[in-house]
Amino acid sequence: MSRLGAAPIDDPLLRVEGLSVSFDTAMGRVRAAQDVCLDLLKGETLAIVGETGCGKSVVANSILQLLPGNASVQGRVIFSGRDLLSLSEREMAEIRGREIAIVFQNPSLALNPIIKAEEQIAEPLQIHSHLPRSLSIQMAKDMLRRLRLGVGGVAESYPFQLSGGMNQRVMIAAAMILSPRIIIADEPSKGLDRLLARQVAEELSGLRDKMDASLLLITHDLLLARDISDRISVMYSGEVVETGESQAVFDHPLHPYTKALLDCLPQRGFHPIPGASPSMIDPPGGCKFYPRCRYKHDKCMQRPDMTEKRCPNEGMDREVRCWLY
Amino acid sequence: MLAILKAENIGMTYESGLIIKKRHSIFQGISLEIEEGHTLGLMGPSGAGKTTLGMILAGLERPSSGCVLYRGEDIWKLKGIDYLAYRRGVQMVFQDPEGSLNPRKSIERSIHEVLRYINIPRREWKDKARQALEMVGLPEELLCRYPGQISGGQSQRAALSRVLLLNPKVIILDEPTSALDISVQAQILVLLKDLQKNLGLAYLLISHQPEVIDFMAHNKAVLESGGIRHEIILPQGGGARPDPL
Amino acid sequence: MSEINPGLDTDAIAMAIHEGEESKCKKDGEGRTALARFIKKTSWAAKASGLGLALFSSFLAMAALSSLLAPYDPWIRFEPYLWPGEEHLLGTNDLGQDILSELIYGSRVSLIVGFGAALMATIIGTTIGLFSGYFKGTVDEILMGLTDIFLMIPQIPLIIVLAAFLRPSFWMVALLMGSLWWTSTARVVRSKALQVSEMGYVRAKRALGFSSLHIMLSDVLPNICHVVMPKFLLSIASAMIAEASISFLGLGDPATKSWGMMINFAFSRGGFINGYWWWYLAPGLCITLFVMSVVLVGHFLEEKEISTLRSE
Repeated sequence: MSRLGAAPIDDPLLRVEGLSVSFDTAMGRVRAAQDVCLDLLKGETLAIVGETGCGKSVVANSILQLLPGNASVQGRVIFSGRDLLSLSEREMAEIRGREIAIVFQNPSLALNPIIKAEEQIAEPLQIHSHLPRSLSIQMAKDMLRRLRLGVGGVAESYPFQLSGGMNQRVMIAAAMILSPRIIIADEPSKGLDRLLARQVAEELSGLRDKMDASLLLITHDLLLARDISDRISVMYSGEVVETGESQAVFDHPLHPYTKALLDCLPQRGFHPIPGASPSMIDPPGGCKFYPRCRYKHDKCMQRPDMTEKRCPNEGMDREVRCWLY
Repeated sequence: MLAILKAENIGMTYESGLIIKKRHSIFQGISLEIEEGHTLGLMGPSGAGKTTLGMILAGLERPSSGCVLYRGEDIWKLKGIDYLAYRRGVQMVFQDPEGSLNPRKSIERSIHEVLRYINIPRREWKDKARQALEMVGLPEELLCRYPGQISGGQSQRAALSRVLLLNPKVIILDEPTSALDISVQAQILVLLKDLQKNLGLAYLLISHQPEVIDFMAHNKAVLESGGIRHEIILPQGGGARPDPL
Repeated sequence: MSEINPGLDTDAIAMAIHEGEESKCKKDGEGRTALARFIKKTSWAAKASGLGLALFSSFLAMAALSSLLAPYDPWIRFEPYLWPGEEHLLGTNDLGQDILSELIYGSRVSLIVGFGAALMATIIGTTIGLFSGYFKGTVDEILMGLTDIFLMIPQIPLIIVLAAFLRPSFWMVALLMGSLWWTSTARVVRSKALQVSEMGYVRAKRALGFSSLHIMLSDVLPNICHVVMPKFLLSIASAMIAEASISFLGLGDPATKSWGMMINFAFSRGGFINGYWWWYLAPGLCITLFVMSVVLVGHFLEEKEISTLRSE
C-alpha cells in the first residue's frame, strides 16, 4: 500500500512503508502491526503514541530487526536509500548503534548488571569506531557529564547501584555516544515518576538538538509526547489512525479514537472509552475502532485508507484513517 | 457523617538487627477518618508509607502504636462474629493488577473460591459468578480465561469483583490504576465512582496522581515527613474542575 | 501419537518448532508408521524423557505384576549353580532359586523401600518448609533450628549403626531413611514458599479473609509442586541405592529378597570370585537403570514445568 500525497517537503530520513508484523504463537496468529506508514524527517521528533498492545514497540523494534524469531515482517523501511528489512544481520549490526540507536524500556533490565556503567557506554566506541579503551572511557565520562551524571562516581558504578533514572541516562549515553542520526526511544518514561520522566525527555531533546539527529519517541504518555515532539502519530490496534503536528492534533483531534483518548485524560475529565480493544488474533474486518466509535455508520465495516486533510492554518497537513474525511 | 473506619494515633516503627537493634520510624501520630459513602484520598511521596498505612487500616499489618477502630471498636480486640464482620467489611485492592489473582487458576475458579468461603451453595455458583463479573462490566467469556490471558484492566476488575462479593463497607485502594493505560484508567475510575454511588461504599484511595485524587475524593490527606496533613477538597461530590491544558 | 503419554506430543511439537526441525524432517524422509515419524521428529531431550518414562513404567509394572511375570516362585529351590539357559533365563543361585524370579519379586521390595522413604521424607520436608516459609518469624526460626539439628546427624552411619543393633526389617530401613532425609526438601520448599507468600495473590487472599491453612493448601502448595517433584524422584533413587548399600553390607533383612540382598548374597556366597556373573549383573543393572529412569522422568517434568511457565 502506498501513501497518498507527500506532505513533508524534504526527503524523509527514515521512511516506513506498509510495515506489517505478525507473530505465530500458541494462541494463534497475532497481527501486531498492519500496514504502518511513517516518515521521519531530518532533525525532527516524531512521537508514536498509543496504548498497551497497539503495536508501537513492535514497529520500533522491527526497524532495527530486533524482533523475536517467530515474527513475520512485511513491508519496507527505507534508510539512506536501503531497505533495512532486507539487510543481513552483519549489515544491520553496522547500522545499529552507529546510525540508528535505540534506548529500551526498563533500563535496569537492559543494562548488564555486572559491567560498570562507563564500560557499557564505551563499548560501542570500541566496537564500531575501534577506539582504544582509555580514549573510549574518557569519551564515555564526557557523555555522562553532559547528561549531568558526571559527579558522584556514577561512571565507575554498576547498574544495580544506580537508581532507575540514572540507569535510563546511562542507556541514553550509550545510545548517543556514536552520534547516530536517528535515536529511537522506547517508552523512556516508563516506571519513572513524573518529574524524572520530564527530565529524561528534555535531555533527549536537548541532545538531539546538539547532534542534529532525529528522535523517534514511543510512548503512551500523551502529554509528554505533545511537549517534546514536532509531529505525532496515533496508533490503535496495530494501525496508524492519525498523524499530524503535535499541538494541532491535541487541540483539534480528527480521528474519533484520538478524540476519545484525549477525553480520557485527567485534565479533560476522565471520560472513558466504552468497550475494549479488539483482539489482535482475530481482528475484525473494517475499521478497527468501529465498535467503540461515536460516529459510526455502515461504511465503517470497510477498512478506510489514510486520507490527507489540508489544514492551511496549521502549517502541515494531517493524515487520518477515517471515513469521515 | 459517621466515621466507619478510624485511625487513632497510629505509629509504625521497624526494628532490625539482632543484638544492637536499629529502629526506623515510618510515621507517628497518624489519625484519620473514613466516612461512610465517602472517599478519602491519601497522597504522599514514594516511601512515605502510604501502602503500609493502608495495610494497617485493612488489618493486614499491626501498628507499633495507636489503634484502628471499625465502627468504634478496636479491630485487634475483636473476636468471633464481630471480627468476621470487620474482615469482610474492610477490603483492600492492590496496585499490581495481575498480582491479585493466582496465575494458575482460571477467573472462574478464583471467584468460586470466594463463593465457597462465604458459604454460597454450589448450585448458585454459576449465576453468582456471572453476576459478579457483570457488576464490574466484564463479559461472561472471561470466566474460562486465565489471568495471563486477559489485560491489566480486566484483571483489576476481576480482582475487584471478588472483593465486592464480600459486601464490604470500606475498600482501601492502593494505586488502583497507576499500572494501567489511560483509557482503562478512566474506565476503572468511573466504575469505582458508580459503585460508590450504588452501593454506598467508602474508599481510602491511595494515589500519587493529584488528578485522580481530585476526581474521586471528598477529602484529602497528605502523608509526609512521618506525619499527616489533612485538606478538604471542594465539596462537590468528589470531582474537580479540569485544569486548562 | 505417543502411546506412553499423550502430553509428550505437545512438548515435542513445541521443541520441534523451536529448533526448526520441521524442515529437517521433510529432508530425512517419511517414517513408515506414525510412531517412526514421531520418533524421528522429536529432539534428543524428548527422546530421553520418553525412554525414562518407558523404563520407569516397566519397573512399576514389574513390581506390581510380579506374580504374573515371574516364571517361578523365588523361594522354590531347583538345581543350584545353573548357568542361564532355557528353563532358567538367568540361571539359579547357590540355593537353587531362580534368579529371574528373584529379580522380579525383588523389585517390589526395592521400590517400596525407595518410594516409602522418599514419600515420607517429602511429606515431612514439604510440611515443615511450607509452614516455615509462610508464617516466617518465630515459627520459621524454630523449624529451621530443628532442620539444622537433623542436618547434623550423619545419616548413613546412623542407619548402619541402628541396623547393626536392631537388625530391622526393610520397613524399618525405609522409615529410618524417611525420617532423616527430609531436611534438604524442607530447605528448598521453604525458600520457594517464602517467595510465593510474597506474591500479590496470596496477599489478596489474606485481605479477603481466607484462613492461613486454606491459603497454604490452595495457593502456595500448587506453586511449589514443581520444586517438590524432582526432589521426590531423586529421593527415590537415593533411597534405593542406600537400601542396596545397606543390604550389601549385610545389615538388611535376610529374609526378604531385594536387589541389594541379591548382590549381597552374590558376594558372600562366592559369586564374584567364581565369576557367576548372572548373580550380580542383573540386580546391579536393574538398580542402575531404575535410577537412570527416575532421573530422566524428573528431568522431563522439570522441562515441562519450564515450558508451561514460559508460555504463561
